[in-house]
Amino acid sequence: MGATRRYRLAAGVGAAVLAAGTLTACGSGDQGITVNVYKYNQENFQAIVDNCNAKAGGRYKIVYNKLPREADGQREQMVRRLAAEDASMDVLGLDVTWTAELAKAGWIREFTGSVKSQVEDGTLRTPLETATYEGKLYGAPDNTNVQLLWYRSDLVPTPPKTWDEMISMAEALVAEGKPGRIVGQGKQYEGLVVLFNTLVNSNGGKILDENGTKAVVDDKAVEALAALKKLATSKAIDPSFSNAAEDDARLAMEAGRAAFQLNWPYVYSAAQKKPDFAANFKWAPYPALGGGESKVTVGGINYAVSRYTAHPDESFEAVLCLRSAENQKIAATKDGVPPTIRSVYDDPEMDQAYPMKDAILQTLENASSRPASPAYQNVSTVISTILSPPADIDPKPTADRMRKELQDAIESKGVLP
Amino acid sequence: MTRTTEPPATPAKQVAASPRKAALSEGKKAERKLGLLLCAPAALIMVAVTGWPIIYSFWLSLQRYDLKFPDDREFIWFDNYVAVLSSPYWWNAMWVTVLLTVVSVAIELVLGMALALLMHRTLVGRGIVRTSSLIPYGLVTVVAAFSWRFAWTPGTGYLVALMEEGSAPLTEKVPSLLIITLAEVWKTTPFMALLLMAGLALVPDDLLKAAAMDGAGGWQRFLKITVPIMKPAILVALLFRTLDAFRVFDNIYVLTSGSNGTSSVSVIAANNLIRGLNLGIGSTMSVLIFIAVAIIAFVFIKVFGTAAPGSDEGGRR
Amino acid sequence: MAGISGAETKAKRIGWGLLNTVAVIYALVPVLWIVSLSFKSSATLTDGNFIPREWSFDNYRNIFATTEFIRALVNSIGIAVIATAIAVVFGTMAAYAIARLDFPGKRLLVGISLLIAMFPQISLVSPLFDIERALGLFDTWPGLILPYITFALPLAIYTLSAFFREIPWELEKAAKMDGATPAQAFQKVIAPLAAPGVFTTAILVFIFCWNDFLFAITLTSTEASRTVPAALSFFTGSSQFEDPAGSIAAAAVVITIPIILFVLFFQRRIVAGLTSGAVKG
Repeated sequence: MGATRRYRLAAGVGAAVLAAGTLTACGSGDQGITVNVYKYNQENFQAIVDNCNAKAGGRYKIVYNKLPREADGQREQMVRRLAAEDASMDVLGLDVTWTAELAKAGWIREFTGSVKSQVEDGTLRTPLETATYEGKLYGAPDNTNVQLLWYRSDLVPTPPKTWDEMISMAEALVAEGKPGRIVGQGKQYEGLVVLFNTLVNSNGGKILDENGTKAVVDDKAVEALAALKKLATSKAIDPSFSNAAEDDARLAMEAGRAAFQLNWPYVYSAAQKKPDFAANFKWAPYPALGGGESKVTVGGINYAVSRYTAHPDESFEAVLCLRSAENQKIAATKDGVPPTIRSVYDDPEMDQAYPMKDAILQTLENASSRPASPAYQNVSTVISTILSPPADIDPKPTADRMRKELQDAIESKGVLP
Repeated sequence: MTRTTEPPATPAKQVAASPRKAALSEGKKAERKLGLLLCAPAALIMVAVTGWPIIYSFWLSLQRYDLKFPDDREFIWFDNYVAVLSSPYWWNAMWVTVLLTVVSVAIELVLGMALALLMHRTLVGRGIVRTSSLIPYGLVTVVAAFSWRFAWTPGTGYLVALMEEGSAPLTEKVPSLLIITLAEVWKTTPFMALLLMAGLALVPDDLLKAAAMDGAGGWQRFLKITVPIMKPAILVALLFRTLDAFRVFDNIYVLTSGSNGTSSVSVIAANNLIRGLNLGIGSTMSVLIFIAVAIIAFVFIKVFGTAAPGSDEGGRR
Repeated sequence: MAGISGAETKAKRIGWGLLNTVAVIYALVPVLWIVSLSFKSSATLTDGNFIPREWSFDNYRNIFATTEFIRALVNSIGIAVIATAIAVVFGTMAAYAIARLDFPGKRLLVGISLLIAMFPQISLVSPLFDIERALGLFDTWPGLILPYITFALPLAIYTLSAFFREIPWELEKAAKMDGATPAQAFQKVIAPLAAPGVFTTAILVFIFCWNDFLFAITLTSTEASRTVPAALSFFTGSSQFEDPAGSIAAAAVVITIPIILFVLFFQRRIVAGLTSGAVKG
C-alpha cells in the first residue's frame, strides 16, 4: 500500500542525508595535523586562532570548536566525550573549578618540563593555583576574573572599605528614601558559591581542608555565614537577591534601584551603553570582612590537553601560543577578559579598555580560589542549595549541616540536592 | 499474545484481508500477518533506539558508579534506592512535582476543553483563533521560560510592575511555584486543546441535534454525548500531559534553578546524573521517576476505564 | 456549551467574537512580550516597558550576521519535516493495526510505546551518545531523526489509535454496498474521517521535533546537524555573563514562523463536525 512506498522514500532520504553527513565530515580531514580546541563561544577568539596558525607555519592547524554559553553545558559536552575516550578533542578550555575533577579522572595531561616553566613564567599566582591539583600543573591559565565593588558616586562619595560599612551606608541611603540598595548573586547556583567563598576566605576561614578531602567549615566560616545572612536580611538588600545571577544584579543597578553592586568587571563595559548611568558608575576593591584585605574568588579559563589526543606535542605548543601575552592582550581588549600574565597589565593599550585594571590587579594578587576537589560540582551543588535562600541562614546549624553534607558530597555518597 | 482466544471485536476483516470470508482461520491468519507487518516499522525503530539505553539505566541503578571515581564501581543491589528514598531533598522535590503536575494538568484540562470548544465551534476567524492559540505550544520552552523570568523580575518586567512596589515573586517558594505553574499551563494548554479538538471533530452533529430536539440542555448534551464520545481523546491528552508534566525541567531550570526549594525530581536527577556524574544515583532517580509515572498511567487506565488502545473492547459499538 | 448550529443571532456572534478575543489575548500577550524584546535596542532592553521605546532591528541583524543561525534553521526544518513524516506514517500504520486488527503482540507494542514515553529521557541520552558515536550517526541528521521518530511514535500511536477506534468504520461498508470500490470507500469515507487525527498528530509531532533541546545538544557537535534550540545555547552576550536576551528573543520569533505556517497549513484539515448523514445510503 501507499505507506510502504512512502516508507521507502523516507528511508531513501535518510540514507542520502547520512551520506551527505559523512561526506562533509570527511571533507575537513586532510593530511595535516589538526589541533581541535574546544572553548566557549568567545567573540574574537578566531582571530587568536588565526594568529597561532600563521605562527605554526603549516605544521599543524588549530580548529576552534565552540561550546555552549553556560558553564554546565560546556562541562557536560566535554566530560561526555572524555568518558567516551574521544580522540577528536585536543585542547580544552576549562573553567577554573574543573581542574581537580578532570585531573583525578585522568582525562587531562600534566604540564611538565619546559612547557610547564613557560606557563609558570610571569603568570599570576592564584590563576596558576586553580590549574594545579595535588602539586602538579594540569592547565595553562588563559584568562582570569575577580569581582569588585561597583558603586554610584553620586550617592556614595567614598566607597566603603568593609562589609559592615557597606551595609550600613546602604541602609542609611535607603532610610533617606534614596536608591541605595545592594545587589549581588544570591540565586541557587555557582554565583552564590563564589560569594560565600569570598567571604569565608576573606575572614580567614576554610570550607574544605588543603587536599579537598575533608569538610572543615570552621568558626571563621560560621562568621562568614553570619555576614551573608546580615546582607540578605538587611533593609538595603535588593528584593530579588535570592533569585539573582550576575546579569540580574547588573540590570537592577542600571535600572536605578541600587547604589552598590558586587560583580565582575564586565559590568563596566556594559554600563557604557548608558552614558548617564556610566558617568557615576565607579569601582573599588571588594569590601573586606574580618579586618584584613578581602580575598576575592577568582574565575576564568585554563587550557588543558586531553589525555586522548593523538598529537600531544602540537597541542601543548598550541596552548602556549593561544595564551601568549600578545594574544591575551587581544582577548582582554576585544573580549574584555582579564589576562593571567602579569606584564600584559602594563601595556598602555590596557588603560583604555580597563580603567579599573589597577583594582583588578591588586585584587588578583590577594585572591582566593574555590575548594579544589574532584567532586567540586557536588560541593558547589550542596553549598548553593544549603545557602538558598540566604536570608534563612542560621549560622551555626547551617554550618553543621553544610559540614555533614559536604563530607558526603566529597566522597560522592548519597544524594545531591 | 495474551488474548488470542478472545474473539476479535472489530468488524475489520473485510478491510483487512482476504475476500474469502468463509475460510475464517485463513482470514484470521492474514489479519495477524497484516497487523504485525503494519506495526513492525514502529516497533523496530522504538526498540532499536531505546532498548539498550533503558536496560542499561536499570543496570546502572544497581551499581555504585560515579564517573569521577571509576575505581569504586561495584554492584550494590538496591542501596542506591535506599539512599534516594531516604533523602529529604528527593521527597521535597517529589511533592513539588506532584503538586505542580496535579494543579497544572487540572487547569489545563479545563482551559484546554474550553479552548477546544471555542476553536471547534467558532465561525468568526477560525484560522486566526486556532493558529494563535497554538503558538504558545510552538515556542521553544527555554525561550518562553526566559521571557517569563524577564517579565517577573523587578526592573525588567512588565508583569512585576503590576504588583506591589518592591515585590520579587520569583524569590519566594509559593509565588515561584505559581509562576512555574502559570508558565506550564500557558505553554501546554494548546497541546491539550488540539487533542481535544480532534476528539470533538468525531462528535456527530446530528446526534447533538437529535438530543436538542429531545429537550436536552447544552450542558446535558455536553456531558451525555460529547464527553463519552471524546473519552479516548480526553484520556490520551490527560495521560500524555501528565507524563510530561511530571518530568517538568526547562521551566524550573530557567525560572528559579531550584532556588528557594522549587526543585522538581527531574532537576534533582539532572543535578546527580549530568552535573554530579553519579551514574548510579542518577539512574536510580530516573527509574524512580519512571515508576512514579507508570503508577500514574496505571491509575489512569484503571480508574478511568480501559483507555489503553488494544486492551479495549474494540472499535465503536 | 456545545451549542448546535442554527440561525446565529447577532448576540451569539458578538459572544463568540468576545470569547475569541479573550483566547487570542491570553495566548498572544506573552508572545508579544518576546516580540517586543526582540525589537528593543540594547539600551532599552531591560526597561520593563511592554512596548519598545526605541525600535531596532539590531537583534535580527545579529543573528543573521553569520551563517550559523541559518544553518541551524535549515537543519531544524529538514530534521523536523523528515522525522514528522516518518513518525506519522509509521504511527498511522501501527495505530490502524492496533485499533482495527487482532494480532499477537498488540498489547506488548502498546506497553512498549507507553514505556518509552514514560522513561526519563535525560538518562537515555548518554547511552545514545555512545551508540551513535559507535555507529557513526553522531552529529548527522539521521542521528537526530531516529530518536525523534522514536519519542514521537508513542504519542502518535496513542492519539491515532484512540482516534481510529471512534471512526464509524461501518460507513465504509455502507459505501461499498452502495457500489464504491474499496479504494473509493477509503478515499471518500475513511480518509476524511481520519484526517483530523492524522493532522493533529502531525502538528504535535512536528512541534516536538522542532523544540527538542536535550537530544539536539547531546547528539550534535557542529553546524552539520545542530538545530535551532541547541544553537540558541551558543549565543553570547557582549561578554561572558551578559544574557543575550535580545538575540534569543529575535531567534525565537524567527523560528516560531515556520510553526505558524505549519499550523496554518494543517489546521484547515482538522475539519469540524462530521455529519454521518452525508454518507448514509
